[in-house]
Amino acid sequence: MSLAIPQGLDNTVERPGERAPLVLGDSTYHTITESVSQIAERPPSAAWLIGFLISATLASWFGICIAYLIYTGVGVWGNMNPVFWGWPIVNFVFWVGIGHAGTLISAILYLFRQDWRTSINRAAEAMTIFAVICAGTFPGIHVGRAWLAFWLAPYPSLNLWMWPQFRSPLLWDVFAVSTYGTVSLLFWYMGMIPDLATFRDRSRNKWRRMAYGILALGWSGSSRHWMRYEKAYALLAALAAPLVLSVHTIVSFDFAVSQVPGWHTTIFPPYFVAGAIFSGFAMVLTLMIPARSIFSLEKLITVRHLENMCKIILATGTIVGLAYGTEFFIAWYGQVAEEKFAFINRALGPYWWAYWTMITCNVISPQLFWIKANRTIPWRIVVISIFVNIGMWFERFVIVITSLSRDYLPSAWGYFRPTWVDWSMLVGSFGLFFTLFLLFCRFMPVINMAEVKATLAGQLHHHHGDH
Amino acid sequence: MSEHTHKTKPADDPSFRLPASLGNLAIPLAIGGAVLLVVGVLIGLMAGPGEGIGPQRFTMSAYLVAFTYCFSISLGCLFFVLIQHLCRAGWSVVVRRVAEILMLAIPALAILFLPILFASWSSQGVLYAWGYEGYAESHGVPGEIWTEKVRYLSSDWFTVRSIVYLVLLSGLAVYYFKLSRRQDETGEVTLTERMQARSGPAVMVFSLVTTFAAFDWLMSLAPMWFSTMFGVYIFAGSILAAHCAIAMVTYLLQAKGAIREEVTVEHYHDLGKFMFGFVTFWTYISFSQFLLIWYGNIPEETHWFYTRLQGPWESISYGLIFFHWLFPFLGLLSRHVRRRPTLVFAWAIYLLLMHFIDIYWIVMPEVGPSLGGAGGVLATLLLTSGMIGLYAGGILWYTRVNQVRVLAVRDPRLPESLAFENI
Amino acid sequence: MTDKQDKKLHGTYAEFDAVDTLLAACARVRDAGYTKTDAFTPFPVHGIDKALGIKPTRLPWIALICGATGTCIAVAMQVWMNTINYPYIISGKPFFSMPAFIPVSFELTILLASFGAFFGMLVLNGLPKFSNPIFTDPRFDRATDDKFFLYIDAADDRYDRAGVTKFLEELGGGYTQDVYDDDSSTSSPKAIWVVLGSVIFLSMIPLLLVARMRVTTSSQPRFHVFFDMDFSPAKDAQMTSSLFADGRAMRTDVPGTVAIGQFDEDLDFYTGIDFDALTRREPVRAAHLVRAIADEESDDAETAATDESIETADEPTDAAAEPEAAEPEVTGAPEVEDDTPWLEKNPLPITMAVLERGRMQFDIYCATCHGNNGRGAGLVHRRAQRILAGAWVQPSSLHQDTLYADVYPDGKMFSTISNGIRKMAGYSSQINARDRWAVVAYVRALQASQNATLDDLPVDKRDEIRKLQAEVKQRLEEQAEAERLKAEQAAAEKAEAEAEAEAEAANGEAQAAESSD
Repeated sequence: MSLAIPQGLDNTVERPGERAPLVLGDSTYHTITESVSQIAERPPSAAWLIGFLISATLASWFGICIAYLIYTGVGVWGNMNPVFWGWPIVNFVFWVGIGHAGTLISAILYLFRQDWRTSINRAAEAMTIFAVICAGTFPGIHVGRAWLAFWLAPYPSLNLWMWPQFRSPLLWDVFAVSTYGTVSLLFWYMGMIPDLATFRDRSRNKWRRMAYGILALGWSGSSRHWMRYEKAYALLAALAAPLVLSVHTIVSFDFAVSQVPGWHTTIFPPYFVAGAIFSGFAMVLTLMIPARSIFSLEKLITVRHLENMCKIILATGTIVGLAYGTEFFIAWYGQVAEEKFAFINRALGPYWWAYWTMITCNVISPQLFWIKANRTIPWRIVVISIFVNIGMWFERFVIVITSLSRDYLPSAWGYFRPTWVDWSMLVGSFGLFFTLFLLFCRFMPVINMAEVKATLAGQLHHHHGDH
Repeated sequence: MSEHTHKTKPADDPSFRLPASLGNLAIPLAIGGAVLLVVGVLIGLMAGPGEGIGPQRFTMSAYLVAFTYCFSISLGCLFFVLIQHLCRAGWSVVVRRVAEILMLAIPALAILFLPILFASWSSQGVLYAWGYEGYAESHGVPGEIWTEKVRYLSSDWFTVRSIVYLVLLSGLAVYYFKLSRRQDETGEVTLTERMQARSGPAVMVFSLVTTFAAFDWLMSLAPMWFSTMFGVYIFAGSILAAHCAIAMVTYLLQAKGAIREEVTVEHYHDLGKFMFGFVTFWTYISFSQFLLIWYGNIPEETHWFYTRLQGPWESISYGLIFFHWLFPFLGLLSRHVRRRPTLVFAWAIYLLLMHFIDIYWIVMPEVGPSLGGAGGVLATLLLTSGMIGLYAGGILWYTRVNQVRVLAVRDPRLPESLAFENI
Repeated sequence: MTDKQDKKLHGTYAEFDAVDTLLAACARVRDAGYTKTDAFTPFPVHGIDKALGIKPTRLPWIALICGATGTCIAVAMQVWMNTINYPYIISGKPFFSMPAFIPVSFELTILLASFGAFFGMLVLNGLPKFSNPIFTDPRFDRATDDKFFLYIDAADDRYDRAGVTKFLEELGGGYTQDVYDDDSSTSSPKAIWVVLGSVIFLSMIPLLLVARMRVTTSSQPRFHVFFDMDFSPAKDAQMTSSLFADGRAMRTDVPGTVAIGQFDEDLDFYTGIDFDALTRREPVRAAHLVRAIADEESDDAETAATDESIETADEPTDAAAEPEAAEPEVTGAPEVEDDTPWLEKNPLPITMAVLERGRMQFDIYCATCHGNNGRGAGLVHRRAQRILAGAWVQPSSLHQDTLYADVYPDGKMFSTISNGIRKMAGYSSQINARDRWAVVAYVRALQASQNATLDDLPVDKRDEIRKLQAEVKQRLEEQAEAERLKAEQAAAEKAEAEAEAEAEAANGEAQAAESSD
């Protein structure tokens, strides 16, 4: 027996030739069902209730601020000549970035056959959808007359007699983000169907059974269904993988097709994608580590899972650092006066503090993950990933604000100051995000039980077969 | 289940050696390649287009195309090896040795880089226009900008940097090759662990070197042009070419009787998937680069694409869209194609050809608006085939002389790779 | 078991504990010749397709077709909307911009292919299916938890209830069960429909309201939710504003503002006056003029009224810049000697390009009144005549002796264009100084053209002009002839018509007389 499942919960050491187990303890199919289902079946814990209350309050405040903004006008933000894209766009790009980890874990890691994704993909996909909701809110209210936002849709209008401009990157964004939201939703929901059927079959209450029954669409677990289901899942993964890359690419086009110094650089597409994955994984870790301990899921979301995510953060953080370096180098190599100025201004200009916060959090702090202890001790991971989240917000701040505040016309230069509405909306969007996430934890299967069981089956099979 | 039916053969099984029929080709290929290379240079110098240093410039650029083509394949293979270690990949063990052998050509190619280095010292701007002393005046570049530019684009600096790149890449290639071969003999598991542990920093070094080597060796052909994505673009082409080369060489080895049972349709399927994926990745990167420059429409940048949309280059540019993306994309889309080794082999050869066109399209338009006439085209083709002959011959010769196995026979993950099945 | 016998039998299943035993059982069942079989598992079991003989699905094709449809729709939509139906220049990009159309095409491809994969999977699986007889047994609930079920359908040719049960038990099925029709009520609970119905109804209310509002009219003024968005507080020209001390909404330039290029040329160029001569002759007036020009930008009403020096400076400015204010034909007052030393010569080099520029500016700004030929019968004048505008004075013809260069120097004409004269407004704010000089040059050319003889023309052009003259003459003659013929014909026709009318009238009278009989 060469592949023993250790009794402890440390599965971080993997000797070449033997795959470390991903489901720990004496887990069986049934204990997996139990440990995941009990989260939704038991009455909510005090921690959940407090968390929900706080985040729901913040989310309501977000709603109030949106109403105030729509009623008064976008002037309540700090957006002012020349920084017309202020915090709303910073927040938009930030949230879209957060929304990248989910589909990445589900789709790309699926295509690369990374079994460890099975324990974390569900929650990460949920985060994707909630982050896209938060992200979509900002450009929606930034258009000014939010009630006319439907003009973005190419519908045959009887009033306007015109069509949207498909040559504008902002319209590409509309299509990219809405496609991404839709496909992520499909992907998330489809992945949940078998688990919703589990919830349905465990329900003893008629109404509960009916609600989950409707959501599960009558799933029976038939092998024929599974076969088509897996094919559909693989197809969606193959479709979502380029999609997830395209979304942040198109978001980067919003900036990069323009001629604003510091925005117009060709590395933006891959660099934005790497940054999005970077921030997305950091957010997944920030939420999964507390959730894992609150819901006692240590046997399913093991230290190995956390460590792997840390490694991805390290890799993408380093890519982002390389991109920062390349931009700086090319700004000098290219010898275009405006570009050179834009980059010097980022590091040494009035927003130097934002720039160096970004560098510290994004490039330096993930380097701590070279040390194994930092990848395996949960509280350290949480601290570092929060730094990464802060850093990635500042990255968008640096890109949007420093470039706009110093455009081609020196007489227009200004210094952006956020208002209380800006602050409220940033905090409020976190409230909305956490509210949705907590609701999800309460009512939906937070871990993909079917896939974890399949992983366990593979593990047992190996274990069995080596005798 | 099938996973346990594979039994590893003894490590000195003859099917793990280079088949004699291939090994015997080594010397003829190398000599033939060298001859073609010389003939190509002569034809280029005599029949190359332009006046004055024109033919020299043309010949050197064609040489750079040939060099870059072979070098990029080895570079991609080096990355392939590093990333397999970084990801602790199991499936790829059976094909990793092929990549290791291909990447070992990097130190040898470093010698073939010498002519490029000499050309960079020319004050006439043979090959690199920034070497020409009168460049700023003849191209209307303001003096203060040019003084800054030549701080980086000077032949001394260029030489130092190129040597650093080549030493670092050769070091990585030799290190990983040596450790992997040692494992063939000893089977130490710690060797794998050591290679894994060092793969992280190695990938960082690799990406820095690739980025800057792409800037120096290829992007600086147009001294005033710049694109931050260029390194990624070159990388995308290289990694695609590497997967194609691995698939092609593996198929040839199998056709000649080596590693017949070890590499299965599952591995071809995976290589096919990666070829498909990297075709898409290459398209993504090159389209993004084009779109941003096209949309931004700033003269500092557009001239690079403008040059490539004139005369014969225009049809090559459009050709790349259809033949480097659409055609292989549709061809490799189907699982049925990727699960047929012969078709994967055919697509690999096709894509390697397209990779040549891509490199050719990057380098040659900087020489002039024409392809160089019949003599020029002939010189380019001869140079490239000569270089490929030398490259292939050298690799085969080394493999035969040193009795290098074509499979990492004692890799601890070999059983996993042998049992590998696609879902 | 009697009650079960009148219900339809669907099949039999057995429960297994482990994947391996299930797979072995599946293979045995397949080998025994059963084809209508199925397994129910809590997770996808690797290898079961082969064990049960399940054929691969067509789903990839569905996704591919949907994806291709998405691409076509996206490309067609964008080309139709932005290239054909609503071509509109944006970012300087061509109407048909394939690179710019690619992102949306890509997104729609993915979207439709994903729909194809997801909904195709549901349709092929026959989902949603809320009533399934196999769910009747509570023990089957564990199919989504930790147990594996192998099922043989009663429709299978080899199915025989007792035999199948025995066979499944042999294979290791710990628990076997027959599936009969589910006799529990199939109707959904009313509450669901009530909730669903009311949600749909309530969500329709705003839509119906909007729809109603759109098709009805009202005499009531519109309700403005966002008043300041409907009525923008932005000010128009000449409006008042409480925001500034002077009560004017329009702002003047900051004192000392210098427009780009304003001082590229000397004062002579901007005024048309020879300042060297003026300084020699009248130093005080010259100094005032210079001051006035320098202060022109800060010359708003308030400062002008309070600042004595500027007011005194204004006087000579007016006199110098508008000496024609006292011209006899308007005021009738005795002619004041204009002793301003006007520039005699146009400071611009007279080239074809300058004249072309002058012609362009003239045709834009001057010709509307003065006419393209400068005879004072431009479009505005003709319109004024047609509507019989009483106060309209015909614009001067530029071809009068008094306006020729010998009596009306170039500098003076420049000043007139700049500052206006009589009813003509100054054009210095519309036409820049260089162009005004170009207009002067062009007017001189116009004047020359109206008094030119053939001898003034280059020799090689003369024949051409002669030919043209002959042609025009001939055409005029032809026209006159045609007119004459037409008039004659009209007269003849008229006579004929009159005669006819007379005859008819006579005829009618006769008829009337007849009928009255």
